[in-house]
Amino acid sequence: MTRSIFPYDSGNTQKIVSLLRYIAIASAISAMILCLLIAVNFIQVRRADPLNTQVMKVMIERMHANPADQQLRQEIREIDLLSRKAFFTTQWQIRTGGYLLFFSLLISVICIKSIELLGKSTPGVPAALKADFWITRKTGRKWVVYTGISVVIFSFVLVILTHQELGTSLDMAIKDPGNKEMSEYGNTRIREYKNTGIKEQGNADTVQQQDTVKIAAATNMDGYPSMQEITGNFPSFRGPGGNGIAFQKNIPSSWDGKSGKNIKWKTAIPLPGYNSPIIWNDRVFITGASETKREVYCIDLNTGKILWQKDVGKIPGSPSQEPKTIRETGFCAPTMTTDGRRVYAIFANGDLIALDFDGNQVWTKNLGMPQNHYGHSSSLIMYRDLLIIQYDQRGSGSVMALYGKTGEKAWQASRSVKISWASPVIVNTGKRTELILAADPIIASYNPADGKDLWQMNCISGEVGPSVAYADGVVFAVNDFSKLSAIAIGDPPKLLWEDSDYLSDIPSPLATGKFLFLVTSYGTVVCYDAKNGTKYWEQEFETPTYASPILAEGRVYLLDKKGIMHIFPADQVYKATGQPALGEGSSCTPAFADGKIILRGDKNLYCIGK
Amino acid sequence: MKKRLPTIFLMILFAILMLNGYGVQRFPKPEFESGYLQPETLQPTSRAEILGMLDVIVLAVSMAVVTWLVLKKRSRTGVFWASLFSLAYFGFYRQGCICSIGAIQNITLAIFDSSYGLPLTAIAFFILPLIATLFFGRTFCAGVCPFGAIQDLVSFKPQKLGTRLNTVLGLIPYIYLGLAILYAATKSDFIICRYDPFVGIFRFNASFGMFIFAGTLLVSGIFIARPYCRFLCPYGVLLNWISRFSWKHMTITPTTCIQCRLCEDSCPYDAIDMPVTDKNPESRSTTIRKLILICFLVPFLTVLGGWTISRMHETLAGVNGKVSLARTLLQPEKPTDQPEQVEVTAFKSSGIPAARVYAEASVVLKHFYIGSWVLGCFLGLAFGLTLAFRMVTTYQPDYTPNKGTCYSCARCVDYCPVGGNELTPDKT
Repeated sequence: MTRSIFPYDSGNTQKIVSLLRYIAIASAISAMILCLLIAVNFIQVRRADPLNTQVMKVMIERMHANPADQQLRQEIREIDLLSRKAFFTTQWQIRTGGYLLFFSLLISVICIKSIELLGKSTPGVPAALKADFWITRKTGRKWVVYTGISVVIFSFVLVILTHQELGTSLDMAIKDPGNKEMSEYGNTRIREYKNTGIKEQGNADTVQQQDTVKIAAATNMDGYPSMQEITGNFPSFRGPGGNGIAFQKNIPSSWDGKSGKNIKWKTAIPLPGYNSPIIWNDRVFITGASETKREVYCIDLNTGKILWQKDVGKIPGSPSQEPKTIRETGFCAPTMTTDGRRVYAIFANGDLIALDFDGNQVWTKNLGMPQNHYGHSSSLIMYRDLLIIQYDQRGSGSVMALYGKTGEKAWQASRSVKISWASPVIVNTGKRTELILAADPIIASYNPADGKDLWQMNCISGEVGPSVAYADGVVFAVNDFSKLSAIAIGDPPKLLWEDSDYLSDIPSPLATGKFLFLVTSYGTVVCYDAKNGTKYWEQEFETPTYASPILAEGRVYLLDKKGIMHIFPADQVYKATGQPALGEGSSCTPAFADGKIILRGDKNLYCIGK
Repeated sequence: MKKRLPTIFLMILFAILMLNGYGVQRFPKPEFESGYLQPETLQPTSRAEILGMLDVIVLAVSMAVVTWLVLKKRSRTGVFWASLFSLAYFGFYRQGCICSIGAIQNITLAIFDSSYGLPLTAIAFFILPLIATLFFGRTFCAGVCPFGAIQDLVSFKPQKLGTRLNTVLGLIPYIYLGLAILYAATKSDFIICRYDPFVGIFRFNASFGMFIFAGTLLVSGIFIARPYCRFLCPYGVLLNWISRFSWKHMTITPTTCIQCRLCEDSCPYDAIDMPVTDKNPESRSTTIRKLILICFLVPFLTVLGGWTISRMHETLAGVNGKVSLARTLLQPEKPTDQPEQVEVTAFKSSGIPAARVYAEASVVLKHFYIGSWVLGCFLGLAFGLTLAFRMVTTYQPDYTPNKGTCYSCARCVDYCPVGGNELTPDKT
């Protein structure tokens, strides 16, 4: 038992102790309240993101749309200033709260210590003896062992959860500094940021040496095809550069799917898809996919025989959940592309695969599940040895270029745009080559070699589906509920003319030097003067149309959803050349080879030839 | 319930230790279009050398005074006031830097990196307390360390923790010390400083995580005396070892112990060794068998520890900036809502080839492999020796402070009725 050395025999001492106790309690309570307030303040500061509020975002979007609006600019600045002031005021509150908390605690501690001193009591002898020394010793030893075992188990669990063979992959990366070979471990792939210009220059020589030699199957896996090779084939969605122009000759203009007239072959496609065929030499490539299965098909152009089909399978890093898409988009809407060495395909879950011409996998990659409520549909395109991917998803717009040979990233540019379903287009303006992309709110141009921004114009909005068209230095962009814009490329670019009478939400426009052909998804074709927007004619086919028009041998080929090909000359006056029927519905854009058209119906692939 | 309070507090404390406080630069620099030039970023000038020397002198004098108060004056009150001074000077005035605990990292880095300029102040702050401890026990902890002082101040209702908790938690400082040395030796991080709970209080600028951490330590410190010193402090490990060999350690009784047992519960740190006079109930042969087992177990645990922790070297190396950057660069890039890491952005803009990052990261990884072997061996040895020490018994007739764990706070001295502390007769 304890007894007091300084017993509260004095009334004054008792009063002082009582007073100190009240002060200590009051200080402790105020400290607790302050503590709570500071914690709330901290949480507030952490959660608040004043510069990224909805109001601020809307204002910045408006600012992008109308950069000359000085009043709006001023309003944004004022809100910005207010946000910063609010932030620093909160900081001041936390700091002042900290001081108050400190002094409250100090008072409380002083009071408690004083009470201890005034009420100091004598020590007492413990009622019971301590536990037996030897038992305590034994318990201690036991718990040292338990702790040691726990540490070892914890270490192993941590190793299992986090080990990545990092050392091995680093060694491989060091041994191959140029990244000439692909190196893989687990779910990761070695890549390197590079100066693309140097590499491209080096390969230009190779290309010149190869010149016009057409290779049946790519034997030289380096380099990239010459322009002559590219235009001699149909390597991507809407042909070379994605511009809707086919350079092939002797294109048929009449056929009949039902009777088989001019149908060279017809091949059933195992899995559905809305991607369009591409052609390289004597091979046709398409993809098909269901919710759970993804395949790439290579078909003989001459016989229609499926030469090989590649099950894409599970790609490392591929999301475990299937993407949510709508029926009109499906699981493989993007069209493949090729550089004559390899073919490349992308699917709705972000799986990207490169295959050689024999169907062997060269590399795979998953770009992350596209945040896209209809399903990813932007097609792939090649620029020299770079695979260009437009990946404008919700909250993270970007365009990137991967080396076709290895899949390593050459460059990536982030974009402040909304989701886009349009495909990239590559054009040569005579001065330079540009990569042109459409997405709400901009038409933007990049240097395809290094991803550097060239120009952009705020002239498009909504859920952008159509890709741009280009001819003679003018880019044409359109979207439903937005407008049709003709932009003259320059520094800065100039808006030539606009129109909003006819707009498209799926088919892309087609431009020639003189004309612009706009196709709406409800089946109306409009011909404009490309230079000034004068409307020459409009033709209502009254059938829904999803495919984009292609210009071949001076004629426009436009396939509607019923499978009827509307063929008419690219001229100031509409005149039907023919309306041959496939006998099967289609949503895909045709591909062209010399003397042949490849059409993808809803279920079959057709080759039409004379 | 009262008995469980310390356990509950400890559980909360260590749960909070698992939290990682992080800072986000939410306010980017304004983008001025009016030709305004951003002012150059200025580095704070280093503290004047003379003031650094003053700190060392204050440290030396404080230790001398506290040692005198503990060993000669045997005054708990004096130690208390001295600790308040240290808290004010080394804590709030010097804002917790430089401190002896953090100096471990400076010394380690200087050993492994010849280009690192080690301040003399850091050497002094590291060495002086160790020397003082070698002679007089842990008087530095008693009244000079501001961390100890601030915890001592709030230790109002200290409770006993029991053998299990004391044993388990008492092993944590070894892990912390090992990790701190590993990260400093590999030039990765000064984790003692990064996760210093009290510096934020001394500077009134604690991050949210550290504010909660420090608050929890102090609130739990009401019931568990000096939780940081006992269950985290890496410098305490060194002081513990050295103090075991101290030349003149504080004693509870100045003359002869009268076995009154008044001091038995006086130590809030469970640092008083009870008299051991009974014979070991185990047979001699059993004890010998156990000792032989321990002789084999210690080297086995050392190797096991080294092998186990070496498996973790990649995980441990994740803290290193170069390894972290290389790992990020090696990962396939996936477009996400998250902005690009600033390290990656900085790397991209630097023009440094990735191969160089990989090569440097590879070297660091190899250092981590060796370092984690050493760390594991150290931990295995620490566990093994802790077991071994619990096998060896020194028979003693009196209540004595445990030279390793005693902070020389002189609380127990107040309880001893021998040598001038005789009880005042009860007037009632």
